[in-house]
Amino acid sequence: MITKTAWKNIWRNKVRSLVVLASVSVGIFAGVFSVAVMEGAIAQRLDDALNHEIGHIQICHRDFRSNNDLASVMGKTGDMEAMIQSIEGVEGVSRRVIVVGMANTAGKSTGVMINGIDPAAEVAVFGLHNKLMEDSGEYLNNDAKANQIYIGEDLAKSLNIIRYIITETVIDSLISSGIPASTADKLRPLAGTRFSNEKSFNKNTGLVLSENEVHNYGKIIKKQARTYRQGARLALSFVDMDNYHTGGMFRVAGLYNISNNMFESSRVFVHREDLKRLTGLAAEEDHMLTVRLKNVDDTDRLTEQMHQLFPGYEVLSWKQIQPDLAMMESMATLMYGVFMLIILAALAFGIVNTMLMVVLERTKELGMLTAIGMNKKKVFRMIITESVFLSLTGGLLGMILSKVVVLLTARRGINFSGYQEGFEAMGYSSHIIPQIGNDFFLIVTLLIIFTGIFSAIYPALKALRLDPADALRTE
Amino acid sequence: MKNHTYAWRNLWRNRRRTIITAASIFFAVFFALIMRSMQLGTYDYMFKNIIESYSGYIQVQGQEYWEDRIVDNALPFSPGLENILLEDENVLEVIPRFESFALASSGSRTKGVMVMGIDPEREILLSDVRNKLVRYHLSEEAVKALLQEDLPETVRKNLELFSGYAYSSDGKLQLELGIRDRDSSRIMPLVRMHAGITNTYFSPENKGALAGNRLARYLGLSRGDTIVLLGQGYHGTTAAGKYVIEGIVNLPMPDLDSRIIYLPVSTCQELYNAPEMMTSLVLHIDDNDDHAISRTVARLETELDSTCRLMNWKEMNETIVNQMDADNKSGMIMIGILYLVIAFGVFGTVLMMTAERRRELGMVVAIGMQKTKMALIMVYEMLFIGLMGIVAGAAAALSVIIYGYYHPVRFSGKMAKMWEDYGFEPVMAFQWIDDYFIWQSVVVAIIVLVALIYPVNKILKLNEIEALKA
Repeated sequence: MITKTAWKNIWRNKVRSLVVLASVSVGIFAGVFSVAVMEGAIAQRLDDALNHEIGHIQICHRDFRSNNDLASVMGKTGDMEAMIQSIEGVEGVSRRVIVVGMANTAGKSTGVMINGIDPAAEVAVFGLHNKLMEDSGEYLNNDAKANQIYIGEDLAKSLNIIRYIITETVIDSLISSGIPASTADKLRPLAGTRFSNEKSFNKNTGLVLSENEVHNYGKIIKKQARTYRQGARLALSFVDMDNYHTGGMFRVAGLYNISNNMFESSRVFVHREDLKRLTGLAAEEDHMLTVRLKNVDDTDRLTEQMHQLFPGYEVLSWKQIQPDLAMMESMATLMYGVFMLIILAALAFGIVNTMLMVVLERTKELGMLTAIGMNKKKVFRMIITESVFLSLTGGLLGMILSKVVVLLTARRGINFSGYQEGFEAMGYSSHIIPQIGNDFFLIVTLLIIFTGIFSAIYPALKALRLDPADALRTE
Repeated sequence: MKNHTYAWRNLWRNRRRTIITAASIFFAVFFALIMRSMQLGTYDYMFKNIIESYSGYIQVQGQEYWEDRIVDNALPFSPGLENILLEDENVLEVIPRFESFALASSGSRTKGVMVMGIDPEREILLSDVRNKLVRYHLSEEAVKALLQEDLPETVRKNLELFSGYAYSSDGKLQLELGIRDRDSSRIMPLVRMHAGITNTYFSPENKGALAGNRLARYLGLSRGDTIVLLGQGYHGTTAAGKYVIEGIVNLPMPDLDSRIIYLPVSTCQELYNAPEMMTSLVLHIDDNDDHAISRTVARLETELDSTCRLMNWKEMNETIVNQMDADNKSGMIMIGILYLVIAFGVFGTVLMMTAERRRELGMVVAIGMQKTKMALIMVYEMLFIGLMGIVAGAAAALSVIIYGYYHPVRFSGKMAKMWEDYGFEPVMAFQWIDDYFIWQSVVVAIIVLVALIYPVNKILKLNEIEALKA
């Protein structure tokens, strides 16, 4: 009965209730959707880290992580691999030889971490083979001749393997792809010049184009002008087992592109056999075993199990390798909660005001109800219920709206391409697919109910303090 | 009776509602100001750190150097050039640098490093390498020895957390390890005994090298060890040299710390066979306001010849500018949401005010009150509420901001470690009062004015007969 009355009461002053409903639903929608975007970004970062960068569990020699010493190897890795593979819950395992060295092209050199991998086994653990850049060749190929290398786009840029050149063909295709001819014509004086890196390309096109044109078409122009010679060569140099400087020429098989610039510009992948041959490591010696699990939630349990299995080695889970990832996950939940609380607190002011108004304008009616014997508890409950209904209806509308918008935007994702550079420097993708867990809706619902009750307490207490005799006399 | 007096008295007819509405505006203004101040303040801090310890605000470089950082693109540094730069009113000092790349080896370990030749005296003005010399290093042995001592539980935990870290000052070490002031006189001598190290800065007698802490750890270097540098010198010559490590420095940016070797600039020029050349000249300037910087750049551009190129800090730190911009926008969206919600609340109040006074409005209009005057009174009422909210919110935020400005929040323990691993100083700073204060008032004023459209319209179209019947 109380619930029914409360619900009907809401609709006695439609405009006022609708304003509150709208404010709650807009507030909740904005809050939940922002959280979904943040959650999407974080989930993608975690996914990228586990899928491309570190895997779930890593096993290596006790000293390897601190010194990256070539001699800190584990023996009989083939047997270890087989043992791990037989553990329940393990999806795949791969062996890597890891050497720190230099990558050089004519005039350019940079420090890199060279990963010797078995391309076929690696596919079961990492997803880097899926990250091959468009038209850049292929992933490492088992049938290929020796010394293939798979490198990141960023490294290719800094080693001048990717260059930029504007030709008449490029200008024509720019025009046919919808760029105004006036803009494209400005590029003609640059035709035929080769730019060895992105910065000098930016600088020189910036000189002929206006700021607006760079902003609108810069990306397309750069993409069209980009040239990359498949099979470009680069020299790797490092120290072998006997401390002699050694190295070799490697042919670029393909380029990968992920949303972590640091990783892209420092990790290169070659065939394990090639690296072994050059360093002089024995067949069953490797630096690292990386394990992929069927279910991430098993990480702690299986890490412990492998720790028991290989007591002499260092067995680390992704949470131990990158504690910031694990911490970010837990901190994010807290942050979302605080964010929603701030929004709800702002909403509470509006609800308090409205409920206060409700009590004031119904003074006479409330007095009447008490006079004919409705007990005060019921009056109190009625007002609280009314407030909860009001906020919950708005909240539900907001949540439904946000769920719909999340689903719609998740199809294509949201592109923050203007911030790509900044995002990728921190390892985040600028193309975010919003996502939100159903448990978050539960938390938000509880928070809304709490807000509804909390904001009605003061007005409801006011209603209780009414003297029926006085209340009846008010106009 | 004056309109505003009338409005002011009207406000207190329903005291609670006025207070609650003003409180909602107070809440929004307070939060928005604190959030904004913290966000802007933290950038400022981060930026100052990066700019002042590395790039500086303005640099003069060789025309092609930024695109292709090789010694061949370095700039001849003549007294004439220096004089031109020093003559500018905003330039206090020219800090020359010779920056290049080399392979550093120690024993069997090799790593690609950045060799930075600095002028020992002038560099103090900018990155102050001297004060970044490591005074304490929590090496594994040092941590082990310290754990044998009688220490509070939090300090023990933090010691394990920060194992391997280095510190250039007592204050930071105490803060991160959670050593309380009253314990410091007892604990600090222990720390000094087990983890203290001596380092020396460049001097006329000391022409050795300084290495970043993370780099030193990687190469297994400590003071007195020798390092071999191998690189490509001017015009294709081979650059090779052997240097004694005289000191270990601790830079806040992990990326730089793990690959930097400092040499005196003259030693560096010898190494790369490029006497009289510099790769960049950092200008130490008086006024680092954005406008002042662009004016200085514009002035110098006319003075310098085409071999020189001027770059400002934004061009040199594109990635961070981009990150800051993204973060800034996300902060603004949050504040936008907050204000949107408050706007609805304000509108609700306006709605109620009009509805409950319908009869009264009809009455006063019927006895001859002008509708426009009535509407104006309503406008005054809402402006008063808005003003109360803004003033109270700004005053409350101001006290927090002023306190925070002088006492920035410094993290310790796990939080500090996470920030440091990202390369940020673990500090939440506040920004001093700035344009952002004014913006909040403008936004609230807009909200109030938009909310007023409804009641003003309602009053102007009021039908007094019907209103009286309500």
